[in-house]
Amino acid sequence: MAYSDKVIDHYNNPRNVGQLDKSSTEVGTGLVGAPECGDVMRLQIRVNPETQVIEEAKFKTFGCGSAIASSSLATEWIKGRTVDDAMAIKNTDIVKELSLPPVKIHCSVLAEDAIRAAIGDWKKKNGAAETAQATTVAVAH
Amino acid sequence: MFKVLDSAVPIACWSCSIGHNDSTLFCPHCSKIQPPPGGDYFSVFGLEPRLGLDLPALEHEFHRLSRKVHPDRFARAGENERQWSLADTALLNDAYRTLKDPLHRTEYLLKLEGAEIGPDLSAESAAADGKDRKDPSRVPADLLEEVFELNMQLEEMRMARKMGETDAGLQPSLEQAKRRFDGLLVEVDQNLRIQWQVWDEGDAAARKKAEKTMVGLLDRRRYLSNLVRDVTETLGA
Ligand code: FES
Ligand SMILES: [Zn+2]
Repeated sequence: MAYSDKVIDHYNNPRNVGQLDKSSTEVGTGLVGAPECGDVMRLQIRVNPETQVIEEAKFKTFGCGSAIASSSLATEWIKGRTVDDAMAIKNTDIVKELSLPPVKIHCSVLAEDAIRAAIGDWKKKNGAAETAQATTVAVAH
Repeated sequence: MFKVLDSAVPIACWSCSIGHNDSTLFCPHCSKIQPPPGGDYFSVFGLEPRLGLDLPALEHEFHRLSRKVHPDRFARAGENERQWSLADTALLNDAYRTLKDPLHRTEYLLKLEGAEIGPDLSAESAAADGKDRKDPSRVPADLLEEVFELNMQLEEMRMARKMGETDAGLQPSLEQAKRRFDGLLVEVDQNLRIQWQVWDEGDAAARKKAEKTMVGLLDRRRYLSNLVRDVTETLGA
């Protein structure tokens, strides 16, 4: 299969490979897998609790070149965005950017799922805090 | 005169016009060759969908039918019959290849039953807008954790080897990893066989449950065989 130049670039120089401290409340971890091919991807974010901006993103992917490129690109894109903004990223954006062929679309889906899972994990960890804030607001009214 | 299969749709024979199941390569009435039937692979061999198959019997039936539809026999037949013998031969080969392999057979049957399983990476099934996506929660979290962890360990060993590390412990630990993955694979296959039996003998509810379990086992199997492939590669390097 011929990979696009962008895929090859991300594959050869993956951005943001690594890991963040899973136990930190500021860190959200998403671990997802594509059962079609047996690939796994871990994507982590560190969110600024004040601004909700994703300040750091790391990934580790055991999978094909497109999955590595998709997750590498995903970490680049979510860095500097707010959590809500990051949720808006669609796998189709990744497909377009990397020119993925149809058989490789599920690799981009994996990256989108990983972003959502990481944010979901972070929200779950900080759910209590958010509710407390909401309660405060409600009381103030 | 012939067994009616649920999955088969009756159609009229092109030659004698008598209706028969759309699952047979030859008309049961006039014995003329038929266009490739639209029934499932099992019905081509006159079988109900089943996971535990009598493989020698299947092979025997395959050879018998192959001889019957062989294009050589239709060299002097009409244009249609000649085409059908080619198409039927191709269908018969596909059906046999799918059914004789235990994993392909299981995946095929699960798909027949409407289960969503890989590795269906075909362009038609992968909708570009992602609407058609598979349920991401299908892979259990603990399996992902385990697979990820195993991959990490394996990578560490490979890195160490690449750095030319002459750690005497490396080779044995790789071999141990391989044995472990192989063992896990064997376990999955044993569990699959148990589910085959549940499916073959169960009622609709038991079948549905077995189907779900098998989808999970096949997912697990795919992850494990990737690991086996990677560790074997590393050992061979
Ligand atoms: S082939 Fe499955 S993630 Fe790329
Ligand atoms: Zn007939």
